[in-house]
Amino acid sequence: MSETEHEPDVTVDSRGATCPGPLMDLIGKVKESDPGTVIELQTSDNGSKSDVPEWLDEAGHDLLEVVDHDDYWSMYVEIN
Amino acid sequence: MTGYAIVLASRKLSRVQAVSTIASVAAASDVPVEVFATMEGLLPFERETVESGEFEVGPVGARMLEAEDMDVPLFTEQFAQAKEIGPLRLYACEMAMDLMGQDLDDYVDVFDDSLGVSGFLNRAQDKQVVFV
Repeated sequence: MSETEHEPDVTVDSRGATCPGPLMDLIGKVKESDPGTVIELQTSDNGSKSDVPEWLDEAGHDLLEVVDHDDYWSMYVEIN
Repeated sequence: MTGYAIVLASRKLSRVQAVSTIASVAAASDVPVEVFATMEGLLPFERETVESGEFEVGPVGARMLEAEDMDVPLFTEQFAQAKEIGPLRLYACEMAMDLMGQDLDDYVDVFDDSLGVSGFLNRAQDKQVVFV
């Protein structure tokens, strides 16, 4: 398990889901969360690594960090 | 331009699935999407077809249906989920339904209504039209 300094308020476990599952799960959670909330998105979908940052750019939220676990990634997102 | 008006006229699973994927993410991001299923594009929505899983598939569609190591939600689930969180509407073409002697009850429950050409054109006026 990799180290991270980020402590998520919410964790979204989308492991096993393919595109657009993890992104849709993240968007759903972003919509119901307040600014300042830190979300950890767990995804095993390779495409999430490029697609989630693209979506965040357009939506105006921050990608804090991506932590590579062996069989999935944790993407830490802060809502603006 | 505010959103997309997608004409779905193909029964191929990969095309239908691409439409549901793109439409879902757009709608979830608050980009309005209207999907007009017409001609053969209506057929994959038949209850019988969805229940049997007998879609017209190419190599990617076949892999999608077989994949046990990946959880790929079928287009019907994607549409249903996206409609709950964003501005996504689906319409079934009246003419194609008439030709096939079917009504909305013959299709899975994702359509908002049936629609003719004028109705679709009205809804497409301020949108980018995508033909699939």
